[in-house]
Amino acid sequence: MRLGFLFGEVANGLRRNTAMFVSVVLVTMVSVFFMGGGLLAQQQASLSKGYWYDRVQVTIFLCTPNATEVAACVGGAATQEQRDQIESDLESLSPLVEDYFYESNDEAYDRFREQFRNSPALDTIPQEAIPESFRVQLSDPSKYDVIAGAFQGTPGVDDVVDQRDLVQRLAAFLNVVTFGAVALAVAMLICALLLIGTTIRLTAWSRRRETNIMRMVGASAFTLYVPFIIETVLATLLGSLLALALLYGVVEYGITGYLSDLLAGQSGLVSLIGTSELFFLAPFLVGGAVLLAVITSWFALRRYVRV
Amino acid sequence: MITLENVSVRYAKGDPWALDDVSVDIQRGEFVFVVGVSGSGKSSLIRLIILERAVTKGRVLVAGNDLSTMPRRHVPRLRRGVGTVFQDFRLLSGKTVYQNVAYVLQVLGTKPHMIKQLVPETLELVGLEGKGKRLPHELSGGEQQRVAIARAMVNKPPILLADEPTGNLDPETSQEIVAILDRINRSGTTVVMATHDTTIVDTFRKRVVQLSDGVIIRDQADGQYVDTQVGEGS
Repeated sequence: MRLGFLFGEVANGLRRNTAMFVSVVLVTMVSVFFMGGGLLAQQQASLSKGYWYDRVQVTIFLCTPNATEVAACVGGAATQEQRDQIESDLESLSPLVEDYFYESNDEAYDRFREQFRNSPALDTIPQEAIPESFRVQLSDPSKYDVIAGAFQGTPGVDDVVDQRDLVQRLAAFLNVVTFGAVALAVAMLICALLLIGTTIRLTAWSRRRETNIMRMVGASAFTLYVPFIIETVLATLLGSLLALALLYGVVEYGITGYLSDLLAGQSGLVSLIGTSELFFLAPFLVGGAVLLAVITSWFALRRYVRV
Repeated sequence: MITLENVSVRYAKGDPWALDDVSVDIQRGEFVFVVGVSGSGKSSLIRLIILERAVTKGRVLVAGNDLSTMPRRHVPRLRRGVGTVFQDFRLLSGKTVYQNVAYVLQVLGTKPHMIKQLVPETLELVGLEGKGKRLPHELSGGEQQRVAIARAMVNKPPILLADEPTGNLDPETSQEIVAILDRINRSGTTVVMATHDTTIVDTFRKRVVQLSDGVIIRDQADGQYVDTQVGEGS
């Protein structure tokens, strides 16, 4: 079969079957969109996890003047002496303590003001309510307990917080998002596959005269199937490209454009996925969709188009 | 060319046999009428030859190929060597006469310059020269059947099967159609035509294979529709 003739047949088929074509395009678009969304959420989860794990893991908050309800803080704000003591203790915990830095009350307050610059409650919080702290990086992030045991209750220490808690909560949230998106994607995918099967069945019926004649004159199975398969591939290709365009919009304007602005105050604390992650995923999403479509149509054709 | 050896066919277990222990041998270049009333097994016999259905028992040989052992992927090649014509013409209504005939060659991947040569040639063979641009609904029944014959013959198969090709046509047109088949046969093509048209069979005096309830009751060279010998005896 020559290419010109083949594409003529495909164009004919599409013209006669526009509604089915459009529905395959749309269903593919939705399923690829959710699949892509789920995978991106998963990437975001591991990205933020990796980012936090590499940086601050444990924060030792020092006493503020008003934190006197904590036993170690009965003396009011942490003194210079207590700070020196904590610092030398941290030194002695090397190599578990890989690195640490001290954040003074001024620095903490500035960061706080930046983070909550849009909040009306900002001016009601006095500077002395924001604790100074030691930010500690561990060589093994899972050994939080060692640090907590060493500093919880030490004079001048208000609290020892495992920052991974926060990260893990974020990761858990993103996992739920991933699960939801992938579950939706799978449901839509099943829809898409069933729809492709039904489309082929209907198309085969509406073209039974042509296929019968082709059969009679000795067209091979491949020749009979190829126009159907090209139509399905075109539909899934178009659908998944539309889904990629949608995902690009979400990432470019929703995450890079909007969300990272919103989190600007915490820049350096949360790292967000960008379009490069999407570009990495794109060939897998499109290729996977097309491959599945081809396999499904092959099975449908074997069933509905007799050779 | 076509050999049936003790062929039996039935469509489902428990059904009566559509063909029952049929043996027939058709030589290259022969013209054979397969006759019998509706349901006598004529169409079943035709359909066996292009593997539209398989035998239940026995063996069918076409051009030296045993169809019962032929792999599925070789079936298209078998069909390329057998042209088929049906009672209902089976033309593509949206395509012109020329396109209907060219369609076969396009499907089989023939080169365009060959198509340009073969299609007019074949249309001339069936007497449709100058009508290539007509659509099927603009043609008479006889002309439509000529298009179907042209389509069956355009890739020059050695065998032509015709299943009741005159079933939808008036007597005069039927004669014309069979005359075309006769002409095709004279150029060396083996023709097998199933029919229950007595006038046609009596006029053309070819070999007659008569079926009744799936059994061959007569196989006679230069036969007539009704077996005169049997008729005399009764």
